[in-house]
Amino acid sequence: MREGNLALAYARASDTLITDSRFNMPLVPVPEPTFTQKLKRFFMVDLLKGMGLTLGFNIGALTDRDSVAGKGIYTEQYPKERPDVAPRFHGAPRLNMDPETHDTLCIACNLCALACPEDCIDVIAMDVEIVVAGKPRRKKVLDEFIFDTSRCMFCALCQEACPTYCLELTQDFELATYSRAGFVWNREMLEQGRETVKYES
Amino acid sequence: MLFALLAAPTFIDSLLLKFFSEQTVNYVIWPLIQVGAVVTLTAGWVAYATYLERKISAFMQARLGPMRVGPWGLLQPIADGIKLLLKEDFVPENADRWIFFVAPYIAVVAAFIVMAVVPFGPDWAVITDVNIGVLFVLAVSSVGVLALILAGWSSNSKYALLGALRSSAQMVSYEVSMGLAIIGALMFARTLSLSGVVGAQASNSIWFFFYQPIGFVIFLISGIAENNRAPFDLPEAESELVAGFHTEYSGFRWSLFFMAEYAAMVVVTAVATTLYLGGWYFPFVYRLTEAHGYHNLYVVVSLIVFLGKAGLLLYLYFWLRWTLPRFRYDQLMDLGWKWMLPAALINIVVSAIGVTLIQGLDGWNGMHTIRSITNGLALTPSGKTIAIVFGFGNLFLTAGILSLINWRSRDFNLKKQRRQIRLVDLPKGKPAVMPVEIVSEARP
Repeated sequence: MREGNLALAYARASDTLITDSRFNMPLVPVPEPTFTQKLKRFFMVDLLKGMGLTLGFNIGALTDRDSVAGKGIYTEQYPKERPDVAPRFHGAPRLNMDPETHDTLCIACNLCALACPEDCIDVIAMDVEIVVAGKPRRKKVLDEFIFDTSRCMFCALCQEACPTYCLELTQDFELATYSRAGFVWNREMLEQGRETVKYES
Repeated sequence: MLFALLAAPTFIDSLLLKFFSEQTVNYVIWPLIQVGAVVTLTAGWVAYATYLERKISAFMQARLGPMRVGPWGLLQPIADGIKLLLKEDFVPENADRWIFFVAPYIAVVAAFIVMAVVPFGPDWAVITDVNIGVLFVLAVSSVGVLALILAGWSSNSKYALLGALRSSAQMVSYEVSMGLAIIGALMFARTLSLSGVVGAQASNSIWFFFYQPIGFVIFLISGIAENNRAPFDLPEAESELVAGFHTEYSGFRWSLFFMAEYAAMVVVTAVATTLYLGGWYFPFVYRLTEAHGYHNLYVVVSLIVFLGKAGLLLYLYFWLRWTLPRFRYDQLMDLGWKWMLPAALINIVVSAIGVTLIQGLDGWNGMHTIRSITNGLALTPSGKTIAIVFGFGNLFLTAGILSLINWRSRDFNLKKQRRQIRLVDLPKGKPAVMPVEIVSEARP
C-alpha cells in the first residue's frame, strides 16, 4: 500500500465513523523470515507436522477405537448406541403411577394446565361417588389427560407445579411421528410411554 | 486350492489348445482373458478405492465411516453403484446432447486403457509390452483432459465451463513437468517399454527412486495435479464451483466420471511404482520362488508386491487429500511453472551429467562403474554410489537454483506479497468484544 491508499483508508475511516487506532499505525516492511523459519520452510516441517497429525488419527482409529488415549473415534452410533443426555434435559412427558397399586398419582387438580404457558395440557376430570366414614361423598378423579407435545416447549413448569410428582418430563427424546395428530398424547400414552424401535448394539 | 490356482494357466492352456490353433490361443484368447481379468480387477479396485477413501478420511476425522451395508460397510460400493444406476439420467436444457452423452465414456476409456501396458508382474501378468509404453501412457492419459473440456462445454452451465477451463489449464501445465520428470529415470533404463524399465531395475537390483528422488517427487505431485485431486482439486472446488465440470451430470454418467477419476489415480500410482519403485521387483522373491522352479508362484507374489507398492502410493493420495487445504489458482500455476518445471529441467541436466560421469569414470585409474549396458544401465556398487550421491545431492542443488530463480517472484505468503503491513499487537486468542482502541507500539 502506498500513501494514496493510506489516505483512502483514512477517508473511509472518517466516513464510517470507525475510530480504530489500527488505521493510525505506520506501514512497515514485512519482516524477513529468520534462518530457523527458512530452514523449516525448506524441510517442509509444517506440512510434515500436519501429515503426522492425520496419520496419528488414522492409526488411533485402528488401534484405540474407543478413544481411550484421545485419538480414537468420537462418533456416536446413534440408533445402536444411545446418547447420555444431560440430567437437566426435558423430554417426553409421563404420568407417574403408584408403584404398588398402579393407580395414577394424578389428583386432577388442574395446576399443571394452569401453569402451562402454552396451554398444551387439558385435564379432564370426573366425579365418583365414594363413602367416607359412612357418608356418601363425591370425589374428583382423573378421566383423561391430553398433552400436546407439538406445542410444548419443555419448560417443565407443569412438572414444578405438580403437587404429587405425577407429571414428569423424562429424558426420552424420540418424539417424532408421521402425522400431526401423533403429537397429541392421551392418558394411556402418557402412562405407558411411546414404543420406539430399539436396535441391537 | 493354492496348487489349483498356480496350475491354472497351464491347465487352461492345454484345454484351449484342444479347440483352437496355437496362434489363436496365444494372440487372441489369452489376451482376451488377460484384458477381462485386468478390467474386472481394476473396476473392483476402483470401487474399493472409493470405500477406502471414505474409511480413511473418516478415521482421520475421528469418525467411523460407512458401517451399515455389510460387515464394516464392505458392501457400500455395491450399494452406491446400484443407487447410481437407479437414479435419473438428467440432461440439462440446451445442452449439447451428443457430446454430453459421449464425454463420460471418453474419460473412462482414457483412464482404463493405460492399464493395457502396465506390467503387473512378470510373464503372463503383462497384457502387452509396447516398446513405447511410457510415451503411450503420457499420450493416452492426457486424452482425459478432452473429456473434461467436452463435459464442461456441453453442459451449458457456467460452473461446468469454469471447472473445465481450470482443469484444462491445470492438466496442460502439469503434463509438461510430468513428461520431463520421467526422462531422468529413462536415462538409467535406456528403454521406453514399461516392462523394460522394471527389468532394468530388477537386473540392477535397485529402485530408480534412489537415483531419481526429485524425479519421483515431481512425478507424484504432477500426477496428483493431473488427476484433479486435492490439494489440486480446483476444477471441482465445491466451495467455488459447486462440482466443477460434472455439475450437471447425474446418475450413471456421473459415476463414470467418478470411476475415471479413481482409475486415473490407480494408473498414476501404477506408473509411478513401475518407473521409480521397481514395479513388481522385490528383493529375494526371485531367489525364493523362480530359482526353485515355482514359476506361477513367482508371478503371483510379484503381482502382490506390485499391488502393495501401488496401494501405499494410493494411501499417500488419500493422506494428502485429507491433510492439505486447496491451493489458490495463482499458487497452482506458480507451483507448476516456476517450481516443478525448472526442477524437472535441472533433474534432466544433473542426471545426464551423472550418467556421463559414470560412463567416463569406467576404466579410469582401474575404476569399474558399469557392469553392462545391455539391459538398462547396470552399475557396479561404486557406480551405484555415484548415481545415488548425484540423485540426493540434486535435492540441495535444485532447492538452491529454484530459490535463486524465484527469489524475486511473488511468494505463496500473502503477507509477503503485500510487502508492507501494519503491525498491531493483538492479544492472543479471540477477544470476546472486538477492541476498538488498540494501543501499541509498531515494531520497527
